Amino acid sequence: MKIKAKTVVPGIAKGEAIVSRTAISFTGGMDPETGIIREPGHELEGQSVAGKILVFPTGKGSTTGSWQFYAAFKRGHAPQGIINVKAEGVVAVSAIITKTPMVHELEENPFEYIKNGDFVTINADEGFVDIQKKEPS
Amino acid sequence: MELNERQKRMLEGKEGRGARKAMEILVAYGKCYLAERLIPVTSVHIAGNFPVLMDEGIEWLEDLAGEGTRVRVFTTKNPEMYDFEETDELSIPMAYQVRQNRIHNALKSLGVTLTYSCHHYLVGNVPRFGDHIAWASSGSQVFANSVIGARSNRDGDHVALAAAITGAIPGWGLHLDENRTGELVIDVGRLDLENYGPADYKALGWHLGKIVETRIPVFVNLPRDMAIEEIKGLLYTLTVTGATGLVHLVGITPEAMTAEAAFGGDPPPFPEITPSQEEVNHAYLDISSSAEEKVDMVIFGCPQCSIQEVAEIADLLGDRKVHPETRLWICTSAWVKTLCKRMGLLDSLRAGGVRVVADVGAADGPHLYLREQGVRVLAMNSARGSYYAHNLFGMDTWFGSTKECVDSAVSGRWEGRKE
Repeated sequence: MKIKAKTVVPGIAKGEAIVSRTAISFTGGMDPETGIIREPGHELEGQSVAGKILVFPTGKGSTTGSWQFYAAFKRGHAPQGIINVKAEGVVAVSAIITKTPMVHELEENPFEYIKNGDFVTINADEGFVDIQKKEPS
Repeated sequence: MELNERQKRMLEGKEGRGARKAMEILVAYGKCYLAERLIPVTSVHIAGNFPVLMDEGIEWLEDLAGEGTRVRVFTTKNPEMYDFEETDELSIPMAYQVRQNRIHNALKSLGVTLTYSCHHYLVGNVPRFGDHIAWASSGSQVFANSVIGARSNRDGDHVALAAAITGAIPGWGLHLDENRTGELVIDVGRLDLENYGPADYKALGWHLGKIVETRIPVFVNLPRDMAIEEIKGLLYTLTVTGATGLVHLVGITPEAMTAEAAFGGDPPPFPEITPSQEEVNHAYLDISSSAEEKVDMVIFGCPQCSIQEVAEIADLLGDRKVHPETRLWICTSAWVKTLCKRMGLLDSLRAGGVRVVADVGAADGPHLYLREQGVRVLAMNSARGSYYAHNLFGMDTWFGSTKECVDSAVSGRWEGRKE
């Protein structure tokens, strides 16, 4: 299914979705050496966001997050695309400097429609997200 | 987004490659938030140091500084990794010195004022009420909005740098009147605030940040004579577990002399959150991440200690000495260290085994080499410092009051709350 969204950074990204219902801080919250979420108690703790389509509500924490995201990106451990409920400034500029396709303010609640492992396309050029459900195993 | 002639020239690359890169960031950022124009800024502060920049970040910074790019606005810089006058004493590995020097030179070339401090507003980078500014460093940013009444969004470093180079910032969010009104009421009336100290306010902020997230909270029933260290404790911690950019402290925040004023003249809604002491107690334990009672190091200064805080630590220590297997560091700015020296505090503290370290903060900078020197368990009076020490560097941390931390430095074991 397709959901309309507002563009933060144009471009197209396709990949497997990883979904967090809680906010993420790139400084302290994500290890740029691996892309693994390392904040203790975070719902994605221990899971890698590298190469995935990362879906989360918004950013939090240190405003230095865009440096850590940039380092992760250069090392090949950043997510391919970002879907936020509301783009917080630090996450937005992280995507801008790495040209990572990013959308926010979807017309539907992304947490109702996107689950871990779904194949998701972000088309930030035309402003929509396309979701293909994971095959039931 | 509308650009004036000068801004268009920058975007076209006619004012150099650095200005073009900066303008490209601001245009993309402004578009995302539907900003109508760029607003001139009067003050900029930037945050990142080597542990967060990493090698890739240094290259980005050097590339920006290339071809003589300069900032157009007074710009100060947050703490770095080590005290520049004590590289040998602190045994700073050459690999870090090389990287630190590259950052130092790039910032100098950009024309950034090398304060290496997170209390830059105590030494001249002081915006006025209503000024538009770009302050990275989430703690100082929320301080500027909530205590001074200057206007800054939660700008990441790259946006703040771009603002410094172009002299302007996209006008959206907290720069606009209509976005500065409160969004929820927090009534702290159930807490025994008369007996609260800075550490209690930090634990309170830790708990509330998770619920507030990015919203603008309005605190009612706070004591109007809150000490500045208590205000900083609450605000700086709210931006660790949450991402709020403006907090209305009724009776303290210039735009919130009354709760109605914080809601733009409308009657305030019913309180959404009324925190209990049990929740604050729980936050205390949540902030600490250590199970090991032996403390390797007590580290103060996140944010950097003011001269008053240094004096308080010296008083609490008295004639006692730091335990031989424990270190005690006070992180501060170069000018507070100078004041300490002038007032005789540096010598008396040194006699007690305390080191006053300039140019670093207790949240991140020094942990890279401290870890390599075998420091593993830290005690600190900063919830923010505890979060970053643990999550960025894998340190085990204890969190408590200044007194509990000083006592722990003397006994070598954690003397504050456990379990």
